[in-house]
Amino acid sequence: MDGKSAVSLEVVLDRCRHGPGQQPNILQTLLAVQEALGHVPLNMVGEIARGLEVTEADVAGVLSYYPDLRTHLTGRHLIRICMGESCVANHCSRILRELRDQLRVDVGETTPGNRFTLEKVYCVGNCAVSPTVIIDDDLYGRMIPSQVASLLDQYR
Amino acid sequence: MVRLYLPNDTSSRAAGAARLAEAWQERTGIELIRTSARGAFSLEPMVERDMPEGRMAWFNVTPDDLPQILAGRGGTPVNEIPFLRGQTRVTFANFGVTQPLSLDEYRAHGGLKGLEAARSQSPEAIIEEIRISRLRGRGGAAFPVWHKWQVARETEADRRYVVANADEGDAGTYCDRMVMEGEPFRLIEGMLICARAIGADTGYIYCRQEYPAAAHTLRAAIQKAEEADLLQSHGHRLRLEVVVGAGSYVVGEETALLESLEGRRGVVQARPPYPAEAGLYGKPTIVSNVLTFATVSTILARGGEWYSSMGTERSRGTVVLQIGGRVKQPGLVEIPFGATLAEVLERFGGGMAPGSHLKAVQVGGPLGSLFPVSKLGIQICYDAFAKAGAILGHGGIVVFDHETDMVELARHYTVFTAEESCGKCTPCRVGSLRSREILERIQAGRGTADDLALLADLGETMKTASLCAFGGRAPYPVLTAIEHFGEEFRRLTK
Repeated sequence: MDGKSAVSLEVVLDRCRHGPGQQPNILQTLLAVQEALGHVPLNMVGEIARGLEVTEADVAGVLSYYPDLRTHLTGRHLIRICMGESCVANHCSRILRELRDQLRVDVGETTPGNRFTLEKVYCVGNCAVSPTVIIDDDLYGRMIPSQVASLLDQYR
Repeated sequence: MVRLYLPNDTSSRAAGAARLAEAWQERTGIELIRTSARGAFSLEPMVERDMPEGRMAWFNVTPDDLPQILAGRGGTPVNEIPFLRGQTRVTFANFGVTQPLSLDEYRAHGGLKGLEAARSQSPEAIIEEIRISRLRGRGGAAFPVWHKWQVARETEADRRYVVANADEGDAGTYCDRMVMEGEPFRLIEGMLICARAIGADTGYIYCRQEYPAAAHTLRAAIQKAEEADLLQSHGHRLRLEVVVGAGSYVVGEETALLESLEGRRGVVQARPPYPAEAGLYGKPTIVSNVLTFATVSTILARGGEWYSSMGTERSRGTVVLQIGGRVKQPGLVEIPFGATLAEVLERFGGGMAPGSHLKAVQVGGPLGSLFPVSKLGIQICYDAFAKAGAILGHGGIVVFDHETDMVELARHYTVFTAEESCGKCTPCRVGSLRSREILERIQAGRGTADDLALLADLGETMKTASLCAFGGRAPYPVLTAIEHFGEEFRRLTK
């Protein structure tokens, strides 16, 4: 672990130790760690557990339960394709196929060179303007397969 | 200076409102007011302006349309938009009109009247008003709201909590997102009324992480409410906080949500005790859907009697439907309970997208039943849906077209349930995965007629033996797909 992340973790743990409830809030602690570091490295589980005075199993259990807690860094840009039913009805499988073809990776993988990570998400509430693709914090609706290539070009 | 109204809602932005705002930001002579969205998303981006004849709207606007709008040519009066005209907007009455974070505008359009009424009444009288309204929880379970409040109030405790379930995970639904982004004070007002009724001093809004704009808007609204000294409950300050989740569909179930709020795995707990008796940190807790709280304020303002005058015998008030999928006019529809599904699709959905033919309709999110064309005469109310073994859920309606492969769709549901099962009970944890494997076997051409029987048998076990509604409902979309589109499955089996 490098010095920077060690300092951040200490700050994060200090902030989370006195959470709103009676017990330490493991989920919010892990989200704060992820916010600071971009992910929650598995080798930090022990340190986090000691910091919160809970067992390592408690921390690992929460970490593995939630889809949005990551133990690995993503690529520079995170692409999420919505697989909610409105997107499915609007044939988002065709958008997914195009993304796979363009990026040459499958869902859950990162492109060589770390440019993109491709993930799926179950509904972002953009159903009336579906199908939906989210890149980082930008949300794109009414996607058609032929728009995929030029959209990816905007993210280097 | 011409004042133009442009929605700032996530879906409106995605439809092009963000691009318009960017293109027009340097333009002199116009003032862009960013409002909530009306929910007529097929017309977005929609730009409005006040004209002598009333509010006029321009549909599917591109940056080049500005001269036409400024000249006042080609607009449609808002009150003549067919999609909106047939609706009975109660909870969504101000959508498209006000700025989400303006407390003054909220007040000017009837906001805070419910809270004022509640503050002039005893907690018992508030609960009685909700009882008279016959409001049932809008998250999906449809439990009588007043009864929950009464239990929480009467349970001996030194603290009580009010929790808004903003983990709107049902795919095809977005009304909670629209409330939080478009009229956050409405949610806050409903929670304040509940807090007074049950005697709570702390409130949490558990917002899913997929809704960053909602969480951001809510936090800003709480800040404004705080500054305006609104956050009071029975003479004390009400602490109100937004907590953001980390994925997980099951966390939308109330006991799992409370587990997650306390920072643990979002796993379902056996009930009783119900959260109203022993919820967050073991204290009486009201967990209600965002839309439920958003409805409460209007009930207090206009009376339970008035609210219960709408709808059907056991489904009172308005139902908020969200139409999505392959229809011409996807969007939010608020009408009294009682119309048929076919009427709603025709009157508001406006038929199918060009080139598409209707094949199936799913109501109530990813655990909802599928309806073929022949079954669309069903009345939209809790009783008719329960009788059909279906659910209204959170009001999501997704329309599938003729190109939909029903076997693949069924498999999609099992992938979802296998991934999202919390794992606590065996029927759901194992059943969802085995269902997926059976369907993949059928897709690969290695399935037999016995596999379809096995799928049905497995489904029955999951329905009866699962711990919560997630496992109990998971088989329905799959089994209704087989029931109504069996030929597509049988064609692939030996």
